[in-house]
Amino acid sequence: MTRQEIEKEIRAIFLREFEVENPEPDVNLRDAYGFDSIDAIELLMEIEKVLGTELTQAEKKKAMDIRTLNQIIDYVQILADCRQTESEKN
Amino acid sequence: MSLTRFSRLAVNFCITLGLWAYFTLGYLLLMFVLFIPCYLRLKAGDAVLQKLFHVHLKIFFVLVGFMSPGVRFAVSEDVRRLRSSIIVCNHLSYLDPILLVSLFPRQTTIVKNTFFSVPIFGWFLRKAGYVPSSPTEMYGPAMINHLESIKRQLAAGGNLFVFPEGTRGREGRLAPFNRGVFSIARYCNTGLKLVLIRNTDRLFRPGSFSFDTRGEFTVSMEWIGSLTENDLKNSSISAAADQARTLFERKIRETQTGGDAQE
Repeated sequence: MTRQEIEKEIRAIFLREFEVENPEPDVNLRDAYGFDSIDAIELLMEIEKVLGTELTQAEKKKAMDIRTLNQIIDYVQILADCRQTESEKN
Repeated sequence: MSLTRFSRLAVNFCITLGLWAYFTLGYLLLMFVLFIPCYLRLKAGDAVLQKLFHVHLKIFFVLVGFMSPGVRFAVSEDVRRLRSSIIVCNHLSYLDPILLVSLFPRQTTIVKNTFFSVPIFGWFLRKAGYVPSSPTEMYGPAMINHLESIKRQLAAGGNLFVFPEGTRGREGRLAPFNRGVFSIARYCNTGLKLVLIRNTDRLFRPGSFSFDTRGEFTVSMEWIGSLTENDLKNSSISAAADQARTLFERKIRETQTGGDAQE
């Protein structure tokens, strides 16, 4: 997945699940949109759908420290790249 | 104040003192005497503690029943049989969580953070695997640890019970539902069992010190419906919370209408 594709998916999730339209890329989501830990869990489950695989506990824990949209996109991109590399190896 | 009313208050006061003495000393003595040897011998310390809480509070309610001859406890069999379930309840009284602990040998719940700072009791709560509700505990990586622990407990046959109102409702009215439990259920790939509690607020009125041991009423717990795993997957968290709330409201209306008709 390209970064643009990931960003499109994440923005769609924000609109559909959290009713946040076009979140600013570098603002703290908690402060700006009241994004809380429950939303973070929901987002993780949506990210699993986007990636088509379950996240490990360590990956989930890493996500819980994320604060901005750009950080989410970086996070998903790293995961997508890892999974692609793994599938190429196999 | 009439003599009858005074004697009723005096009886309630004395029985309440006795019950709370058992409740508190039970934690201090029974737990230390039983828990430490069990804890040292068994690895699953949380399961042992939950079982001890269960036995201790079961005895507590046997005493409550014995001291309150006019109060009947009616817990439906389908509620008693619940295992590996996330149970959503309305919240009327401080008695609600301890009644639920007395029903299920393995159980966990989300507890107000202030209880964790109570000496000894707070330590027991943490050791029993109960989940603190504070924002610091439910934010960041700790949140995942708690969710995974809940998942493990459900897999081991335990129940998670939650009061999505967060606080006790007033005069039969439901407070708005927090979304947390609905998200937890989705995370754990399970559904929700909805259980309606009635009359615990008559037995132990919010804001009152004493139990009403002279009243005549039935404290009941009834399974009023479920939200399946698919229900939760196919709707937003807010929609699921609304659906659960609607089921509770409908049942409360029905029981109030039924009660009025009977009167």
